[in-house]
Amino acid sequence: MTFLHPLALLGLAAAAIPALLHLRQRRLPPVLDFPAVRYLQEAERRTARRLRLRHLLLLILRTLLVCAVVLAAARPQVAGWARAAAHEPTAAVIVLDNSLSSGVVVDGRRVLDRLTAAARAITARAGAGDRLWLLLADGVMRRGTSGDLDAAIAGARPEPSRLDLSDAVRRAVAVAAGGERPGRDVYVLSDEQASAIDGPLIAPGGVRVVALAPPAPAPANHGVGALRIVGGRLLVPLVGTPGGKAAAVTVTYRGRVVGRSLGAPGDTLAVTLPPAPVGWWTGDVEVDADELRADDRRVFALRVAPPARVVAGAGAGPFVVVALDVLRAAGRVAAGGDVTIGTLPAGPVAIVLPSADPAAVGAVNRALALRGARWRFGPPGTPGPVQARAAALAGVAGAQVTRRLELTGGDPAGVLATVNGGPWVVRDGATILIGSAFDTGWTALPRLPAFVPLVDELANSVAGGGTGVTYTVGDEGIAFRVAGGDTTGAVVRGPDFRESDLTPAPSAVLGRALGAEVVSASAFPSAVFAGAARGDAAGLLLALALLLAALEWVVALTTR
Amino acid sequence: MPPAGTRLDLLDPWEVAQLGGVEIAAAGVVEGFLAGLHRSPFRGFSVEFTEHRAYQPGDELRYLDWRILGRTDRPYVKQFEEETNLRAMVLVDVSRSMAWAGAPHRLTKRAYADRLAAALALLLLRQRDATGLVTFDEVVRQGVPPRVKGGQWARIVRALLDTPDGQGTAAAEALRQVTARLARRGLVILISDLLFDRDLALTALRYLRHRGHQIIVLHLMDPAEVELAGPPEVRYRDLESSGTVVVRPRELARTYRDTVHREIAAWRSACRRHDIGYHHVTTDQPFGLALRRLS
Repeated sequence: MTFLHPLALLGLAAAAIPALLHLRQRRLPPVLDFPAVRYLQEAERRTARRLRLRHLLLLILRTLLVCAVVLAAARPQVAGWARAAAHEPTAAVIVLDNSLSSGVVVDGRRVLDRLTAAARAITARAGAGDRLWLLLADGVMRRGTSGDLDAAIAGARPEPSRLDLSDAVRRAVAVAAGGERPGRDVYVLSDEQASAIDGPLIAPGGVRVVALAPPAPAPANHGVGALRIVGGRLLVPLVGTPGGKAAAVTVTYRGRVVGRSLGAPGDTLAVTLPPAPVGWWTGDVEVDADELRADDRRVFALRVAPPARVVAGAGAGPFVVVALDVLRAAGRVAAGGDVTIGTLPAGPVAIVLPSADPAAVGAVNRALALRGARWRFGPPGTPGPVQARAAALAGVAGAQVTRRLELTGGDPAGVLATVNGGPWVVRDGATILIGSAFDTGWTALPRLPAFVPLVDELANSVAGGGTGVTYTVGDEGIAFRVAGGDTTGAVVRGPDFRESDLTPAPSAVLGRALGAEVVSASAFPSAVFAGAARGDAAGLLLALALLLAALEWVVALTTR
Repeated sequence: MPPAGTRLDLLDPWEVAQLGGVEIAAAGVVEGFLAGLHRSPFRGFSVEFTEHRAYQPGDELRYLDWRILGRTDRPYVKQFEEETNLRAMVLVDVSRSMAWAGAPHRLTKRAYADRLAAALALLLLRQRDATGLVTFDEVVRQGVPPRVKGGQWARIVRALLDTPDGQGTAAAEALRQVTARLARRGLVILISDLLFDRDLALTALRYLRHRGHQIIVLHLMDPAEVELAGPPEVRYRDLESSGTVVVRPRELARTYRDTVHREIAAWRSACRRHDIGYHHVTTDQPFGLALRRLS
């Protein structure tokens, strides 16, 4: 509780006046002679209890009366008063989740429209002393007046990106806490997807976090996940509400439908793409329409390159030679020296395997240094299964490695596969290092069916700098990178597939995770600035003073 | 000075007291009082015929001598001389509590009692009753034996004037001493504010009554003792005991009034039960009204 005129509180000292007068009268009454004192004593004996009660009651009433008048003069502003029309200056951060999922239509109304209406209710209640911020799914913390934020809110559209709600709230809490205002509020306006809750529990401290409860129930949804092209096949993961019904999937490539299938969220469909001439080709995958349209279609790009010209260099081993023969017969590689696979780095692109002779490691490392590569072969490492980081090497994941050399000194971003967490396949410009020789004494790979595809990927994809396709979150589309007259790559944009699961987090989980009080849509308006709400209690106190005065008058008259 | 012909017995006691001392006031009161009466206020145990006189308008018809009327056809009335066998004793309380007046222009209870006692004595002596006086507080202060001879009234007045204001009141003890002095039965008039123990006092009065005395109690109070008034808060000090009590008169007034009226009612009831006359008199009442209560 605060006071508009706190100096008036000094008048509370006047509350002692009735008691002082009472004591003064008790101590210094005039002395008069009176013969019939015995009658007085008798009368007082009969009325002593009543008079004591009366005096006490009058003393209390008069003291309260003075206090009520003084407090009313100080204009107390009571915080948290439900009927309050004003509130203390507040630093308020509005987290408006306009991620992809906010575009879903529920009961004929887009969720984002409901969220923006709630956001405008906040800005409408904001006063001149408040400091406001708006955080959208793009992650930009906007500060402005109510008008500024209203404009930003009105311009909010469902973004293809995902909003990490936990991280957003954590940032908002930090901003509100430093807002230099007595009130500190964070309003979370979101569809509260369970997938958006991540990270440790938030302890908002002195910041009040209010989360708008999601509309229930969320509609079932299905969408197209992140596409991958492996070995000429398009892998289509279907995402959405777990346990959702199957939907029809249509794959279009080079302008014609190349596949149709049914799939439910959680399924991954594999569609073999028909052969195509060398060049860049595009296609898309589409599922049946539902309440969230933005994730129902996803595009892809594919580079069809000419077969790499590969030669097995010194120390490549018989398994590599055989694999190249097979690939050459299938037209996947051609004879030539563009790519050399061997124990010594050679040729424009070198795939370097460790030598069986440990004494040769030094020479190999020097040769690597001469090529400008930073990775080196190190001491022997521990055996273990292969873990793939690059999609091109996904086929060898789990293959057992019994002998390997550690790879050291390079950029960790170039690691394509690991064993026991240590780099096993790395790329450093035009040099690819592999921690084990392709020999059964080093690894079980040569015996596995995945070996030939591995050599294919290494020669055509990895050695060639990858597929040249980069996937990113954004409005659906493909942008090609051009260098001179050549197309060197493509950027494929699409929605964040994690947005497709619309299942909201339970209110209890949400409240615990965000440190928030979760309020329904109907209760939300009254919760806005309620933590810092304040009402002027002067009128109430004056009414109380009048009531006390009337009571005092009645008691004084009726008990005389 | 009141205009000529004014009856002093009906004036305000304060005004009457301004006319002179106790004797003048009492004599004036008695004159006025008798002028308003048609018969003797006090009657003795028997009367003796003295002479006839011609009937005058106003004479009571019961004293008309019908025989003479029948023989002479003229109305005569009989005249009697009252016997002096009534012995009256006036007891005046002179305790400290009597020396108090509730307002500046009001007689103290003692002053009022003195004048009322003097008037009573004069009335009784005029009809040839032996009248005496006792003043008392805790003990008997002055005593004038009942006599009817000339100069008795002056002695009574002198005794009143010579008695200073006393101390506390122990009426029972004083009344016991009075009892010893009243060998022959007669009339006892007690003038007091009765601020003493009622049971003890009644015991003494009952004894007197048992001895054959006719008793009249004049309960004298100042009006301020009946209706409590004063500053918002006051410490009242008892005149006799010096005990104090702090009260707020406005708060206590109603209960006090009830207490006083209950006390008066208690005295009246107790006196009636024992065949004792009781009259409540306030010091603002004209003396004539007080005397009329006794007739």
